[in-house]
Amino acid sequence: MKPHALLALAASALFATSAVAEPGKWSDTPVRIVVTFPPGGTSDLVARILAQYLDSEFGQKAVVDNRPGAGGTVAADYVAQQPADGTTLILGNNAPFTIAPTQFESLPYDPVASFTHIANLGASTPGLFVQPSLGITDLDGFIALAKGDGVTYGSSGVGSITHILGQAVDTALQIETIHVPYQGSAPAIQDFRAGVLDAFYDSMAQNSAMIEDGEVVPLAVAAPERSKRFPEIPTFREQGYDVVIENWTGLSGPAGMDPAMVQTIHDSVEQIMAIPAVIEQMDQWGIAHTAMTTEDFSSFVANTITVWRPLIEAANVNGG
Amino acid sequence: MDIFASFGHGLLVAMQPENLLYCFIGVFLGTFIGVLPGIGSMAPISMILPLSFYLEPTSALVMIAGVYYGAEYGGSIASILMNIPGTPSSSITCIDGYPMAREGRAGIALFTSAIASFGGGMIGMVVMAVLAPALASLALNFGPAEYFAVILLGLVAASAVSNGSPVKGVAMVVAGLMLGTVGVDITTGAERFTMGIPELRDGVNLVVVAMGLFGVGELIVSIKANASGAHQTDIDYKQFYPSRAEWKSIFNPILRGGAIGSFFGALPGTGQTVASAVAYAVEKKLSRNRGNFGKGAIEGVAVPESANNSATQTAFIPTLTLGVPGSASMALVIGALMIHGITPGPRLLVEHADLFWGLVASFLIGNVMLLVLNIPMIGLWVRLLQIPYKYMYPTIIVLICMGVYSVNNNVFDIWLTLAFGWAGYLMRLFRFEPAPLLIGFVLGPMMEEQLRRAMLLSRGDPTVFLTRPISGVLIVITIGLLAYSCVSALRARRHQRGALRSAE
Repeated sequence: MKPHALLALAASALFATSAVAEPGKWSDTPVRIVVTFPPGGTSDLVARILAQYLDSEFGQKAVVDNRPGAGGTVAADYVAQQPADGTTLILGNNAPFTIAPTQFESLPYDPVASFTHIANLGASTPGLFVQPSLGITDLDGFIALAKGDGVTYGSSGVGSITHILGQAVDTALQIETIHVPYQGSAPAIQDFRAGVLDAFYDSMAQNSAMIEDGEVVPLAVAAPERSKRFPEIPTFREQGYDVVIENWTGLSGPAGMDPAMVQTIHDSVEQIMAIPAVIEQMDQWGIAHTAMTTEDFSSFVANTITVWRPLIEAANVNGG
Repeated sequence: MDIFASFGHGLLVAMQPENLLYCFIGVFLGTFIGVLPGIGSMAPISMILPLSFYLEPTSALVMIAGVYYGAEYGGSIASILMNIPGTPSSSITCIDGYPMAREGRAGIALFTSAIASFGGGMIGMVVMAVLAPALASLALNFGPAEYFAVILLGLVAASAVSNGSPVKGVAMVVAGLMLGTVGVDITTGAERFTMGIPELRDGVNLVVVAMGLFGVGELIVSIKANASGAHQTDIDYKQFYPSRAEWKSIFNPILRGGAIGSFFGALPGTGQTVASAVAYAVEKKLSRNRGNFGKGAIEGVAVPESANNSATQTAFIPTLTLGVPGSASMALVIGALMIHGITPGPRLLVEHADLFWGLVASFLIGNVMLLVLNIPMIGLWVRLLQIPYKYMYPTIIVLICMGVYSVNNNVFDIWLTLAFGWAGYLMRLFRFEPAPLLIGFVLGPMMEEQLRRAMLLSRGDPTVFLTRPISGVLIVITIGLLAYSCVSALRARRHQRGALRSAE
């Protein structure tokens, strides 16, 4: 290639990235937002809210496409293979992008290189809940119990975020607990209420009714700071143990998307996440939004894989 | 009484014009989609979920519930007419419904199925109205040990579902159990028999197995039999209504089916397929007409239909009062409530009494609508049998593919269904029955999961199954049932031998 052609290419690239993108419609055909879970869960509802507001705010038609299976890897693999024209996006989370790269020996996609990670939507915070009948109110009591009679805890599955959190807590508190995996948090909570489990890890917001009724004792939240909704529940860090595990959700597309379009999508999503009605709804589901630039979000996804790797390996999630 | 006042109030809520409309839309959509093979209630419910965001929560719930139990009405139609279950839970209805249709009694079978579904629905509604709090606390008393015990009982009872050789029946149950082990092991996370295929990590889907073995398998058999003809050419339109004797013989089975269905519906996780299988097995043990089961016994149609419909109503009990969804469709119900800021749980009965009682009352209205909708349609459905195979079968294949695809939006499932179709064809060729396989497949993974969880929680002490009262009683009943079956089989053999000797 001749030097001036290279220059022109560099100039056009510069022009493309420096063009001021405005939030708005980016595709004439409806956009598919792929969700890694079956319909009905929080993730699905977030995607549906997003689709609704993309249409009402910007006239961008969007539909939700549920492709559950294999811890979200089926959906991620599918999206990675779609054309990078902004018509297929994925509502990503830690399962296919943070845990799967360590959990599975081989993945058909690269969690970083196969995608354009566009915008961070937010994170919900899981916490540690114990039976009121155990009579403990803080982590020191939990440690004493684990070293005495032993503790059983329920998670929403092997390799799920609640299992990783359980492992992180065991490591930080230097205890050993008995992990009892379930298929999702609902059956774990059912067994907890039937009195067969001593403890479980789950999202704070999902258990607000039980917290208010005093049916569970929340010992700590795994967030950097206390949640606005439950200001009386302390963090792990406050009690002297460095455990922060957040359940993130974000929007990504296949690798190689046009930077201007990425900026448009990013700005549109940010604008929607600032609408008071959306904030209120997210608050109810316990999802706190943190604005990130596209670059920040991409490096966040890449970093989280490295940070979580030792925990996932310690949890021995592939039965080896 | 309190319940009557609440129910009356609920009836007022359910009778509001817009709720009546959404109830009708729900049951109409449900019954229509239930007829289509492979498309269960999940697909239409997720389609109307976004619509429900704009409705009052009660209207939304009434409509979703309508789709859910409407699909059970529709599901039996294809089972009876063509041996192709519309929903997995109506697979059991094939066993006697299809032979009835072959005898030219399709009209009666469809009528019976509608009446039994209605009866089951009413039983489920009464159970929900009267026992919702009690059943919710029963479900809370069911830990892993109890679940294991009740599933074991179900499996032992259901091993009687097979009609041919008992050895083949047991072989099919075992094959089903083995098939159920495919996928990631819930307890350790190890992959089992997935052959490196990501789609198999979550195991084989129930809809895929049911549609392959029953639906596609049946099609392959029929194509070989007669490609150009139709199922039936002349229909006796007088033969649509059961005789007085038939009415009498289905009355008790409907009651028993409804009771068993209500129980399994209220236990989250077990569901309609288990309910109809266990109810059928129990009826086969109790019925005076048991010799005809599998050959077109009218009771064999009434029992599973009553059971699966009552289970669909009581499935709302754990969903609403505990927030524990028993199935994917019930998870959608929770999603629909969450979007309206309603958290299902023990307080729902008090805080959203309108919603709960409105829903219960809508079961009455919806089931009456379904009866009115379905009875006049029987003539139309039976006429489907006159459509030549060459038009009928390609249509069914397309519908099965759509239905199977709609479960996970994944083409892999369609190929897997084809493989199960050939397996189903071979099984028919060698006279193995698919129903016991399906039961083993449904119950096996649940039983393993609960067994290992119970052992994990008891720290490896197996006596936990006997020392916990509910599970202890269930285990004793299971042993009793096994002993009874063995003794009666031995006695039958001795009897036979005696008869032979006296003949000599």
